[in-house]
Amino acid sequence: MPDLPDVPWSDLQLPSLPLPELPAPDLWGSPAHWAVLATLLAALAGLGVTGRSNRLAAWVGVGGGLVAFLATCWQLYTLTQIEGARRGVGTIGALPLGDELDVPLRLLVTWPVAIVAFTVAAVALVVQGYARWYLWYDPRYRPFAATVSLFTSAMLLLVLSDDLLLTLVGWEVMGWCSYLLIGHQSTRAAATRAASKALLVTRTADIGFVLGLVVLASGAGTTRTSDVVAHWGAAGTSPTLTVAMTLLVVGVAGKSALFPFQDWLPDAMEGPTPASALIHAATMVAAGTVVLAQLFPLLAVSGPARLLLAVLACTTMIGAAVLAFAQGDLKRLLAWSTVSQVALMLAVLAAATMGTGPDAALQHLVAHAWFKALLFLTTGWLGVLVGGTAMALMASGARRYRVLRHRFGWGLLALAGVPPFVGFFSKEAVLGTAEAGTAATDGGLVPVLVLASVGATAPLTAAYCMRAWLVLSRPTAVQGHARLYEPGPVERIDDFFDEPQVVQEAEGVERAEAAISSSARMGTSALMLMTLFGGILLLLPVWGPQVHVDLQLLVATLLLMVVSALLVRLAAGGVRTRDAAARIPAGVSLAAERGLHADLAYRAVVATPVLALARAVAWFDDQVLDSWVRGAGLGARLLGRAGDLTSPRRATPALALVLVGMLVLGAIGVVTA
Amino acid sequence: MSGAAGRMREDLLALVPDLGVWWYALALLPLLLVALLLLGLGRRRVPPGRRVVHRGSMAAAGLSAVGVAGVALDRPVLELSWIPSLGVSFSLRPDGLSVPLLLLTALVGVVATALHLHPAREPRPEPVDLADTDPTSPIPVVRGQDVPGLATYHACLQVVLLGALVAFLAGDALVFFIGFELVLVPMWVLVARYGDPGSDREGAALRFLLVTVVGSSLVLLGILAVASATGTTDLALWAAEGGASLGRGSQLAVAAVLLVGLGLKIPVFPLHTWLPWVHATAPTAGSVLLAAVLLKLGTYGVVRLVLPVVPEGFAAWSPLLAGLGVTGIVWASLVCLVERDLKRLIAWSSVAHLGFVVLGLATGTQAGLQAALFGNVAHGLVSALLFVVVGGLKHRWGSADLGRRRAAVREVAPRLGLALVLGMAASSGLPGLAVFWGEIGSVLAAWGPAADRPEGWFRGFAVLAAVGGALAVAYTVRVLREVWAGDRVEPRVPDAELTERTALRLLGLLVLVLGLAPTLLLGVTAPFVEGVLAR
Repeated sequence: MPDLPDVPWSDLQLPSLPLPELPAPDLWGSPAHWAVLATLLAALAGLGVTGRSNRLAAWVGVGGGLVAFLATCWQLYTLTQIEGARRGVGTIGALPLGDELDVPLRLLVTWPVAIVAFTVAAVALVVQGYARWYLWYDPRYRPFAATVSLFTSAMLLLVLSDDLLLTLVGWEVMGWCSYLLIGHQSTRAAATRAASKALLVTRTADIGFVLGLVVLASGAGTTRTSDVVAHWGAAGTSPTLTVAMTLLVVGVAGKSALFPFQDWLPDAMEGPTPASALIHAATMVAAGTVVLAQLFPLLAVSGPARLLLAVLACTTMIGAAVLAFAQGDLKRLLAWSTVSQVALMLAVLAAATMGTGPDAALQHLVAHAWFKALLFLTTGWLGVLVGGTAMALMASGARRYRVLRHRFGWGLLALAGVPPFVGFFSKEAVLGTAEAGTAATDGGLVPVLVLASVGATAPLTAAYCMRAWLVLSRPTAVQGHARLYEPGPVERIDDFFDEPQVVQEAEGVERAEAAISSSARMGTSALMLMTLFGGILLLLPVWGPQVHVDLQLLVATLLLMVVSALLVRLAAGGVRTRDAAARIPAGVSLAAERGLHADLAYRAVVATPVLALARAVAWFDDQVLDSWVRGAGLGARLLGRAGDLTSPRRATPALALVLVGMLVLGAIGVVTA
Repeated sequence: MSGAAGRMREDLLALVPDLGVWWYALALLPLLLVALLLLGLGRRRVPPGRRVVHRGSMAAAGLSAVGVAGVALDRPVLELSWIPSLGVSFSLRPDGLSVPLLLLTALVGVVATALHLHPAREPRPEPVDLADTDPTSPIPVVRGQDVPGLATYHACLQVVLLGALVAFLAGDALVFFIGFELVLVPMWVLVARYGDPGSDREGAALRFLLVTVVGSSLVLLGILAVASATGTTDLALWAAEGGASLGRGSQLAVAAVLLVGLGLKIPVFPLHTWLPWVHATAPTAGSVLLAAVLLKLGTYGVVRLVLPVVPEGFAAWSPLLAGLGVTGIVWASLVCLVERDLKRLIAWSSVAHLGFVVLGLATGTQAGLQAALFGNVAHGLVSALLFVVVGGLKHRWGSADLGRRRAAVREVAPRLGLALVLGMAASSGLPGLAVFWGEIGSVLAAWGPAADRPEGWFRGFAVLAAVGGALAVAYTVRVLREVWAGDRVEPRVPDAELTERTALRLLGLLVLVLGLAPTLLLGVTAPFVEGVLAR
């Protein structure tokens, strides 16, 4: 291979353009306030005010999303006008918790954060518009829209927060919203089960998150994130800091579905597709990346926490990519790919050094948000057309409904990381960061592990993308027949509009377009554009410290991807459905679909012992602790019975005398006082 | 912004008439008069009608709530000489620590009197599954009904409220104790006479009586001990003295006696066993008052009678107290995972919440005390909300057994369902709802306790408390899965009627407001916290 030079990322970045001076309207608060409050108020109004009107609820939900989106756009502009591009604002005022602990509850806007917030708001807006169509006939559209608004608000709060408590607020609220969204169809036992599982698994891991935050805040005497980072950063490496960061990593692993908490996320597919898009694209699972990026200077100096993060993320990244390949349902395939991609974001945080900074993870978060939202929403669209998301139903979808073809194609290409789609740029940033980490630590364990795993994941990702694409773009029966009967090139068409293929194609477009509302379709189109041109966002000159793109590595990775895609194509040959996964033995395939039976492990390791303990505790409480009360009651009753037997039944004159005596005593007391 | 808000607040305050100590008359007299009147009327041969009793009782509670609001704004001081030779005076002196609890009591009092009492009835026959559903099975009545002894019931409610208000207003230990005692008998009547005969009513009433009588005798003993050492029962003087007149040994003893007495009331593990029994039996309004007001007497007593009065003794016992509190959190949450009776389950969750409050108190820091005071009020609101819902469900279902298959609440009674979700979410510590700030504050404070507390132990407690938080989510998920979600719509039950709806809206709104703006409450208590902890 020829010796290719390294390209510094700054050479790829766009030049910074002078922006025109826009007249700044003097509005109350800052854009950050508007973004969080608009969605929060939309959630409250959606539940409380809209009565029975779905139309009003949709206006409120979409309106709130729109205001938040405009606010985040405006926030991007205002940042260019601020010296240093940092803006801190207050919220509800400091909590008066005494002198020992300062709780200012402030927000902080910087460039990476503002871009993430913009992405979140945009995806949420698209999802709101899409949900109005998707849940048109759902009697519970109103709570759904309100929950989506609340979810968006919580994520925006978490992204913009400069306070560990606010971060925790956003974090937990998202967990609950995901519960409500996944369990939206609460009449279905599977949905309720999946929702409960999601909340329980993430909340169990959150024990670590809460304790980590408590340790950090308590040591620093403040909950303000920037002060916490400054305090612990100045103190240097210490066991306490390591413990705190390790605990935080455990919490993040739960929310981001890293091994061993990974199993809730594929099950979360029981929720309606817009909810899946929201949870998977820009919010919930990506939240851990944002939190660790905010605390990055502390993560960088806690070796064990980084090692733990790297091991968990790398295991998950590769394992989930392998499992994604074997799924029999397109939504579950996408879910596992989310697990894998989020692990990629977190892995790069483990590998990054102070020199490179955490920005690559956020860049990948942004890129992932665009293409994953696109893929989910398109899957939902196709699911409505064909009546399900199982691979067998989805087969030929992109052929029969040609309007979906580019949406699926671009989304999968971006997911695989093919240039010039958005995923390509973010993966280059990830690879560059991991490589810089390797160089900086002189081949340290963590960066090498991450680099190797990212390198191994790229072809695996390409493989499952190729598999999905082959199934989706399988020729339809009509096309198959045409090819059978007309093996050679067609020389003359008698009547173009009578041609079965043409008719089918026109029918497909007609049906697909008629099925969806214009706003939902427009949303997916916007996502499609961002999937193609989102690279521009990643090449803005506002992203932090620079990395180098190793062209040699780039070419090698692309080659590997091509090879694995070709292998999949080869494996798909001869299978009727063009599904390469059909070559996997049935037992393996089933196990993969069930997430390698992680459920059983959860039950055996956590649920069963805890329930057994609970039963023992309840028994002990009832039989032992309560016995003294029962005994006292029994004793008192026996005494009473004894007194009853030994005393006369009727009031005696003596009693009257005693009463009179008491009265006299009382009177004496009063008079003498 | 704050300037405008401050001006608006001042303008509003200027509208409040300056009644001075007459606010007390407005707050307390309606309750007393109506209670006496109802007791008298209830004994007549022809008892007054349901509407008269209900409306009269609500009017008294409403008037009293107005009076309490006036007291909260004006904070007048009433000092009457009572037994000067013993240093006892009848003094009412509300401050930032008691005002939130006073307002809570007034509000919950209105809610409790508004709720309808229903006659005890046989449990409804439960269809095993849809195949043998009896579509004509009667839908239970949830509107007001004529119940024998309704006047006495309302009189009891009024006396409970009166006692709680007196206890929270008291500026004198003896007055506090009188209020504390006044609550017991009417509450016992509520449990023993109006309780659910389907559960073990006798056992519950007996437990309540025994435990609370033992508790209050111990409290009286402690009060007498401090009073004899200081020569006064004025709480302000006690706090100012800070235990100077008691030696270390007697501080320890007094603190132990008071803590056991109040711990029975709070209740602290392992003195908690009476609570689920009483809650399972008590009528809905009784449960609401018990959870939202009576338990607060215990925690408030610790803040008033123990923390500032015998600081050294409290500091010595606090690791044990915190340990018991945390054990209570985990213990109660575990029991909630397997408890079969929904009302008992909510009672258990109360034990867990009060564990957080006790933990906050025991840390001895301002943050811990603030968190505890906040958690106290938050628990009052949330448990009141949950007991309104669960009590309503129990009446509709005929029992609160979770083992039976019932219609999914979300399907048949969406309003109750929403309230249940809100209450359970708040109870599991969802941020943005009230309980969260108290719990996270307690955990934060426990990680960095006061200098004279053993840090290692308290950090262990913080870890256990965090685990308890996760268990709370586990039982919440269990309840929602068994009660709220599902596809069954038989046997049908009616949704919340007007009274319940209004009460649930009011409580839910407050839970939300406190969750979104905790500074509203923390700001009220903040100036007084230092005084409690000052040595």
